Amino acid sequence: MIGFFAKLGGWGLQALTRLGRAHLLLLSMMRGLLEILRRPRLLLDQVFSVGVLTILIIAVAGLFVGMVLGLQGFYILSRFGGETALGLMVAASLVRELGPVLTALLFAGRAGSALTAEIGLMKATEQLSGLEMMAVNPEHRVLAPRFFAGFLSVPLLAALFSMLGVMGGWMVGGGMLSVDQGAFWNGMQNGIDFREDIINGVIKSVVFGFVCTWIAIFQGYDCVPTSEGVSRATTRTVVHSSLAVLGLDFVLTALMFS
Amino acid sequence: MSKAENIDPTPPLVRIRGLRFRRGSRWIFDGVDMDIPRGKVTAIMGPSGTGKTTLLKLIGGQLRPDEGTVEVDGENVHALKTPDLYRLRMRMGMLFQSGALLTDMSVFENVAFPLREHTGLTESMIRKLVLLKLEAVGLRGARDLMPSELSGGMARRVALARAIALDPMMIMYDEPFTGQDPISMGVLVQLIRRLNDAARISSVVVSHDVTDTLRIADQVHVISNGRVVESGSPAQLQESGGDWTRQFIQGLPDGPVPFHYPAASLREDVLELPA
Repeated sequence: MIGFFAKLGGWGLQALTRLGRAHLLLLSMMRGLLEILRRPRLLLDQVFSVGVLTILIIAVAGLFVGMVLGLQGFYILSRFGGETALGLMVAASLVRELGPVLTALLFAGRAGSALTAEIGLMKATEQLSGLEMMAVNPEHRVLAPRFFAGFLSVPLLAALFSMLGVMGGWMVGGGMLSVDQGAFWNGMQNGIDFREDIINGVIKSVVFGFVCTWIAIFQGYDCVPTSEGVSRATTRTVVHSSLAVLGLDFVLTALMFS
Repeated sequence: MSKAENIDPTPPLVRIRGLRFRRGSRWIFDGVDMDIPRGKVTAIMGPSGTGKTTLLKLIGGQLRPDEGTVEVDGENVHALKTPDLYRLRMRMGMLFQSGALLTDMSVFENVAFPLREHTGLTESMIRKLVLLKLEAVGLRGARDLMPSELSGGMARRVALARAIALDPMMIMYDEPFTGQDPISMGVLVQLIRRLNDAARISSVVVSHDVTDTLRIADQVHVISNGRVVESGSPAQLQESGGDWTRQFIQGLPDGPVPFHYPAASLREDVLELPA
């Protein structure tokens, strides 16, 4: 019994230590903003590899999610003769929930895991140590640009996801299922509130982008520098990010719409 | 044989006193005193796992000792604030075992990296300097290659060109000969000696490769079990009467460092008798 509590205590202390290290890293990356402002090229390069290269998966996923929403929404709404509300239903679902959440989950799987693997391998191949010995702070030079690139990219990717999702819903509703196109767009325009829906959706995606990128970078930086360690860190990035996004989504939704 | 004493009147470049460092409950260094003289090639030798690389990281300020001091050029490395430590590191080069080249940059960009980070030189000046550094290691023609296109020996030579880009006062070499073919080994041995003498820098070579290290070293420190067991010139070490040094230098399979990892007796193990 004592052994069990000792193990539990040890595990708790280890988790707290890691949390402390993660916060110290966050603080250091924030200080790296000065370096980025001095050399914006560092950020632009990372926005390309973290954000631009994620566009394809976000665009395809957004389109299909919108199409499925259009299809499912139509079958449910048509039972009550409410097909004209399809546009509103698709847009509200995407802008409030699915856009930010699914974008963050896809981002964690595609860009987050890549970030962790890249940083973990840089650590394993002593590139980060090499930078330190060249009097270059890797937290400012390597990690901070990646962090801010992820933080900026997720809201933009979420907007793209929602936009293409609405297009997908319209293609199915207006094209395949003959929902009145005027009603589709009017319902959306009248029903979606800029502050309530769009701004809240943007806030969610900003928070998710912050958390997912932070987790990805910390896992890479803190990993055991072996192939197994990098592999475990990559898995942890996807698992922790996904759980954090889903948990935070509930908290944010409760705060925003209660 | 005595430990390193200040035979040379000039103060040593690196002065280590009472160094203690542990990982978990295991003491890697337990009271190490060591001087590394200026302008010479100093080898730090010992079997794998004795903490040779750790010692370089302690000298470079990447690790903090539990006790003791490490002074480089008169500055206590672990008492320095980060900007001062970085200023000191700009005068120290380090060649990592893996080369540690930045894999998303070409050979040219890798060598230019410290110059771009720390100097306000124009691009044309940086280009000239990079080409000169690459010429010094014989790889001017490989400037457009990516690190993935280099052999292990070439990667280390590029890393060496990068390490000397800022004309440091000292270079630390972490196992520079490991995994090298005889030609690459010969090139590296010659480069280390030539750079040390031509650029008047101090070199610290960490290695367990006895023959080649003794060939270029002016002074050797042998470490084992967290302490410096012997120091002296290569000739002194080769004539050493110490059991441990003789086993290491001659590569004897058994001696103070046993062939067998500590275990219960073979009879107990094989017959599964209770200990």
